[in-house]
Amino acid sequence: MSGFDLSGLTASFGGERVIGPLSLQVKEGERVALVGKSGAGKSTLISLIHQHVGGTSSLVPQDLGLVNALPVFHNVYMGQLDAHPTWYNTLTLMRPFSKDSAAVRALLKDLSMPEKIWMPTASLSGGQRQRVAIARAVFRKAGLLLADEPVSALDGPMSHLVMDLMSKRFPTSVVALHDVELALQYCTRIVGIQDGQIALDEYSERLTSADITPLY
Amino acid sequence: MFSSPTVRVSFLFVAIALVALVFADVAITAANPWKDLGRFFMGIVTPDFFSSEGVALALLRTVAFAFVGVALGGLCGFVLSLVYRNPAVRMFCAFIRAIHELFWALIFLQFFGFHPLTGVLAIAIPYAGIFAKVYSEIFEEADPTPGRLLPPGTGVVSAFLYTRIPDCWVQLRTYTAYRLECGLRSSAILGFVGLPTLGFFLESAFSQGHYSEAGAMLILFYVLIATMPLWVKPKLLPVYILGAPFFLGEGLPIVWGNVERFFTQDIIPSPLRNGEGMGGLMPWLGDVMATEALPGIWNTLVLTQIALVATGLIALLTFPLISNHFGGPVRRTGGHIFLVIARSTPEYILAYILLQLWGPSMLPAVVALALHNGGIIGHLIGRQSSAIDLRPDAATGFNRYTYELVPRVYRAFLAFLFYRWEIIMRETAILGILGIYTLGFYVDSAIQNIQFDRAMMLILVTALLNIGVDALGRFIRKKLALQTMPTC
Amino acid sequence: MALNIIRKLAAASAMLFACSAAVSAQTLVFTAIPDEDETKLVERFRGIADYLSENLDVDVRYIPVKSYAAAVSAFRNNQVQLAWFGGLSGVQARSLVPGSEAIAQGVEDQAFYSHIIAHKSTGLNEAEDLPEALRGKTFTFGSKGSTSGRLIPEYYIREAFNEAPDDVFSRVGFSGNHTRTLRLVEAGTYEVGAINFSVWDKETKDGNVDTDAVKVIWTTPSYPNYQWSIRGDADERFGEGFTDRVQQALLNMKDEELLNSFPRSGFIPVSNDAYAPIEAVGKQIGIID
Repeated sequence: MSGFDLSGLTASFGGERVIGPLSLQVKEGERVALVGKSGAGKSTLISLIHQHVGGTSSLVPQDLGLVNALPVFHNVYMGQLDAHPTWYNTLTLMRPFSKDSAAVRALLKDLSMPEKIWMPTASLSGGQRQRVAIARAVFRKAGLLLADEPVSALDGPMSHLVMDLMSKRFPTSVVALHDVELALQYCTRIVGIQDGQIALDEYSERLTSADITPLY
Repeated sequence: MFSSPTVRVSFLFVAIALVALVFADVAITAANPWKDLGRFFMGIVTPDFFSSEGVALALLRTVAFAFVGVALGGLCGFVLSLVYRNPAVRMFCAFIRAIHELFWALIFLQFFGFHPLTGVLAIAIPYAGIFAKVYSEIFEEADPTPGRLLPPGTGVVSAFLYTRIPDCWVQLRTYTAYRLECGLRSSAILGFVGLPTLGFFLESAFSQGHYSEAGAMLILFYVLIATMPLWVKPKLLPVYILGAPFFLGEGLPIVWGNVERFFTQDIIPSPLRNGEGMGGLMPWLGDVMATEALPGIWNTLVLTQIALVATGLIALLTFPLISNHFGGPVRRTGGHIFLVIARSTPEYILAYILLQLWGPSMLPAVVALALHNGGIIGHLIGRQSSAIDLRPDAATGFNRYTYELVPRVYRAFLAFLFYRWEIIMRETAILGILGIYTLGFYVDSAIQNIQFDRAMMLILVTALLNIGVDALGRFIRKKLALQTMPTC
Repeated sequence: MALNIIRKLAAASAMLFACSAAVSAQTLVFTAIPDEDETKLVERFRGIADYLSENLDVDVRYIPVKSYAAAVSAFRNNQVQLAWFGGLSGVQARSLVPGSEAIAQGVEDQAFYSHIIAHKSTGLNEAEDLPEALRGKTFTFGSKGSTSGRLIPEYYIREAFNEAPDDVFSRVGFSGNHTRTLRLVEAGTYEVGAINFSVWDKETKDGNVDTDAVKVIWTTPSYPNYQWSIRGDADERFGEGFTDRVQQALLNMKDEELLNSFPRSGFIPVSNDAYAPIEAVGKQIGIID
């Protein structure tokens, strides 16, 4: 079960309502792109959804939430901490098991950064850090991906690579994107947010970029 | 200028200190203070490293007590920091750190006697309280996002190891290493009450006027602290920590019956012990308060307030010595050496030296407290001021100091000063042991008279006073929105 | 390298354990109140330790302490079994250890006395009574727990002025020991001080006193002072008759050099009762509960 059906979503900030009330249903297999200008409430909506569906989703927040002092491997491995007993995790912190490092390396290879596996996360560039956070979400193996601008720091070819990977690895996803072309190409459904409300909700094949532009 | 709350608070404290100065006993009573000071400096420049067989052993013991005490304190403090949210734990930690190492040593001496455990616990207990507080503050400041992103079934320990420890590691390590330096100072002064560390030999040498011997010990102590980065290496730490317990000396065996006696008899107020009941307790308490606690509190407060302002003055005067914005490399090196010496010398030792040279009054204590604490704050804000980028056409000289630098570092300066307020008070109380009439004087007198009930009562009063000042200091820092990192 | 260090540590610790095992077998540990410069004390009492271990067939060890109270506590806590106490510290210690006894005092300790000494700047001269001119001067005692450096002088000061020393003098200090009292008054740091006659005489004889700078202005009546005290359980621990043997060994001490280091001309037997006057004065002043 990786879809969800949420209604009455609201959020306020400093006494002022920034989201909703709104409802959003996502069926299993749907890949939803949240679009709209910055400040429209996309990030807030992503974290609202995360609060409601909780642990059944993989989250890539805008600030990534990496542990900078740890190497890439451990940041990715963190996606599966629940799958192992404490002693195993503790040993892994000191000296990873080869099967885990092989799995993480393979995943990093798909993101074309396998050589960075033992680098401290703090030493990476913005785009590399973004890919580490995505790798962690993928490694987590949850059915639902919630991602907030996951490719904002990536260049053209790399953002296509990552969007492609995410659409293959997650049956269902809700991704906040500011790049309308990417949204139309990799997502099955476009939800436009304006002033905290849903201003547009349509399947991608029925839309062109011109239909979305008014939202900005 | 008076519209700024920081300036108003500063002047308020200066005014309090000036009033305190009226009541304070400040004088140089020695007939030839400068001659003695001269002899002391001659001793420093003509150190005699081979006069006493005990010096090398004393240094070894000083290091051993510091390592064992800090390691044990760090371990307990770490465990306590995990449950620091609990108000009972918080209060417990505030209480144990409000009692100075020397007071703890005096307590343990009464029933463990000259067993190494006395020295180890005297350091470990207050340090555990401090570690618990600072560690928990470090953990609280860690980025909470990675923890929230973990899969829901993750165990508490795994989550802690992956998301908290790595994030805080550098700070934990820096702070612990810094505490080790404090531990060396604490360990050294424990000698003054009879443990086999540096203070033991320093006191002997000093009281007999063997200044060259004392000078040698002080120099070795500075070298020990200054070279810490060279010999305290992460890889060697386990060796030190495992090895240190073997170098504490054997002392004398513990007689466990004494422990029970201490807690069930010695510290029970004498009217209760003698069966006079509650009726006898009130007059007893009244007597302790009126003849010892109140005069002690008054003198402690007076001395603390004067020392606090003097510390501020020293810090403001000395920070330019190491600031990039003044002077050349030669002056800065000189400044660094001065500040290292000022902050490496425990205020207890400084006060002891000055008392010997100038005679008894509050003056040596004020100067000692101001030099040590001012040295620490001066070093910190001096470093901070070096990080400031001035516009190329900024004023120079005194104008640069008053217009460009002091306004920029003033908040940090005040934050450190109010952070150290409680530390200064804790030290002030302790300096009483040297003969200044603060709370420590009355604690020491009670112990000399074998009246441990009185001593414990007075130590309790001292702890409460420290907790009160700590709370007030935090309140003022919060009011003025001053942030600081912990110092010791 | 680390391994090498560990190996050394292991060896060192094994040695330490071996030593401490040997020490705990049957060692008489004793201490003394730190009433004089430490170097002198260590020299004197190492000699005593050697003398006693020769005469008693047990190991004897002296440990130096930093305060009078530490000596009393060590005796009370059974970390030392024998101690060289002053009058007051002996009374305190024996009241805390049931069955403990004063076994020997110096010949001079039967009638001990204290001097009040003054710096030349006071212009005071030796007199029959404590002069009224002492009022307002600065004054130092020895240790807080000293008989000759505090208790007795305080008693007579209170008697002469009918006031506590704090009220008589402008400043009252505790130098820590007699040697330091002498140095402080000699240097003028304090104008007046209390010192025991024994230290004064010895330092004067050895030429360590600048007699132009400091002189005796008053002397107290005599009182009983220093003594060797032993714990009541010493026989139980070291064998029947041990206390008597320790006493005999002390009384038989004839070595000039050892005796001079105190300085005492010899030791004589004494009992707890001899110190009743000290106890009475201690209670009167409030040092003893």
